[in-house]
Amino acid sequence: MRAQYVLKFFLGLYIFIFLSYLFGPLIIMSITAFNSLEFPSITPWECFSWRWFQEGKIAYDGQHLAGLSSDWRLHDGIIKSLIIGLGVVILSVPIGMAASIVLTQVHSRLRTIFYSVSIMPVLFPGVIIGISTVVLWDRIATIGGEGFIADIGRNGIFLTILGQTCFISTYCFLIFVARLQRFDQTQEEAALDLGANQTQVFFKILIPYLMPAIASSAVIAFLASFENYNTTVFSILSDQTLTTVIASKVRLGISPAISALALAIITLTIIAAIIYELLRRREDRKKKERQEKLLFEQTQDSRLTINKTKSFRIPKSIFVILLILIVGFFGFNQLVKNNLYGQECVIAAESAKKSKFSEQLKLLQENQVSQESLEGGELGGNQDYGDIFGDPNLFKDFGGFD
Amino acid sequence: MRSFFSKNGTLISSYFIIAIVFWLIFLIIIPQLYMLDLSFRPNLPPLLRGGPDDVHTLVHYKHFIFGSESSEDPYNYVDIGVFFNTILTAIFVTIINLSFCYPIAFYMAKVANPNSARLLIVSLIIPFWINELLRSFALRILFAGEGVINNVLISLGFIDTSINFIAMDIALYTGLTYAYILLMIFPLYNAIESLDTNQLEAAKDLGSSTIRTHWRIVIPHAKAGIASGCTMVFMLTAGALATPVVLSSPNTYWFTQLIYQWFNMNDNWSRGSAYSILLLTVSVVFVLLMMRLFKVKIGEIIR
Repeated sequence: MRAQYVLKFFLGLYIFIFLSYLFGPLIIMSITAFNSLEFPSITPWECFSWRWFQEGKIAYDGQHLAGLSSDWRLHDGIIKSLIIGLGVVILSVPIGMAASIVLTQVHSRLRTIFYSVSIMPVLFPGVIIGISTVVLWDRIATIGGEGFIADIGRNGIFLTILGQTCFISTYCFLIFVARLQRFDQTQEEAALDLGANQTQVFFKILIPYLMPAIASSAVIAFLASFENYNTTVFSILSDQTLTTVIASKVRLGISPAISALALAIITLTIIAAIIYELLRRREDRKKKERQEKLLFEQTQDSRLTINKTKSFRIPKSIFVILLILIVGFFGFNQLVKNNLYGQECVIAAESAKKSKFSEQLKLLQENQVSQESLEGGELGGNQDYGDIFGDPNLFKDFGGFD
Repeated sequence: MRSFFSKNGTLISSYFIIAIVFWLIFLIIIPQLYMLDLSFRPNLPPLLRGGPDDVHTLVHYKHFIFGSESSEDPYNYVDIGVFFNTILTAIFVTIINLSFCYPIAFYMAKVANPNSARLLIVSLIIPFWINELLRSFALRILFAGEGVINNVLISLGFIDTSINFIAMDIALYTGLTYAYILLMIFPLYNAIESLDTNQLEAAKDLGSSTIRTHWRIVIPHAKAGIASGCTMVFMLTAGALATPVVLSSPNTYWFTQLIYQWFNMNDNWSRGSAYSILLLTVSVVFVLLMMRLFKVKIGEIIR
């Protein structure tokens, strides 16, 4: 018995380590979004602030560490990502659907080849799909001369849509194949016997049956397109999408604004996951109720009774949410009490840093003065240093990004 | 062909054919073939393409093996080194992921009660939908010179000066393991979940030890899942670009970064294509190897 408890303990520990490996970095990153320091960190905690979600910070040398709401490049990238995602959905869902339906109709030998070719793009590294699209279309644009073909052949958004469609169609294809495996072909035959033509069968029977697969493949296609980097970075050419903007930001130097962006994306993801889960549960419950009702109707004279579920139950998760709210509230109060929140704190911290640095600078200059005065040199313009290099943390962590 | 048209009607048939031809021919096959062709051609300015100088040549592959003509070394140690480093690291990451995920997948599939397993799955999907770049960025915050791990270790007194995790490539390996871990869990989970629990109980009743049960029952049953997970993780790791961009040290290159350099910075598209073909070859060989090793069909690897 004791051995079993030890085993259970280690299993629990293992799962805990695994989950913290998975979520720990994300949680820490989210917290750093609220630290007003220029470098995303937790341990030298300066102030709790929303500045990285808002206008960011203008450093003394005029370098603008943009926050989320003031970064036009990011907004531009998001819009382009949305356009590309839409284009990919429009192309890849019909392609995946067509391929999966045809797969059910071809003969077994051809079927294997067809299936293998269709799933090949998933096995290609993303960079290769991007490169091959670009080189092909550059050639087409060169041959096509001036005009429309040359324009689209060198249009980053168009190429990215094509490149992403290449492998995202496979995702859609696989979703449709899974759904079609459970399709009852007699439905089609019945419709044909009742005098429908093939086009009507397709629109009245097959499409409604495939509707859930269409919806889920559209969502998957959009998300896959939205977060793709490997293909996009080649095929986007001179344009920018959200992912390439993030990549160039991360490469240039890491700022908490990226943490803020990540937190926004994480929040959206979690909300989407919760909504999906709630919808699914409601569906399950409805199904169960329907089944129970059916059973009840079938066995009217038996002693079975419908056990009515209460219309409103308090879910257990409410306690977790309450706990988080309470901890958050008290933590926030503590922050305010210790003057770690708000504009005053940020200003105070900035000026403290500035004065600390200028003191050091003064010390340095005094030493220099003694040297220079020995040589009879003249001193000038030293007040400006405080403004230019006022922020020691700007350069503290710089170096070796790429 | 005629039966195909009569079965679907003219309108729908033409939609099927247009969509499939567009996808298979124009998006999958022709770009790859053109890239293969380009990799055998010299790097010419666009105007000279198709002219008398545009002949087939092995110059880019020679460059990969022997290096540029001006260099002293007999072989191109840098590029070959990067190439094999990438492959070996990808294999290493795959093995780590497999051993790390197997217990979790088994726990979710067979030990945990269905409700908590479902909760676990949903919560595992969440980090998967967050951009790979941002996940790598999160690790960068942890591993940076003034990062969280260093600060914690210093304040606890374990070390005096900060460890440069990024220069030691620890950050890169952790990031690569982190990036695709979920593509290992889900195939494994699906495979193990389909195993009949009675078999496990029978093995236990017959006195088999835990390790033996796993070795003789669970792993043979889950081999398609293992093959699938390993293939996906290897492919994505070897072809990763985002994680190395964020986490690799200045003097470590990933093979995709080399491709990127030839392609975007040096503007040598044909050499970039040649290097891409090398990467593609490795991927294809790896898939075939996995299919042979685990005796599974390609359809079982990707689902």
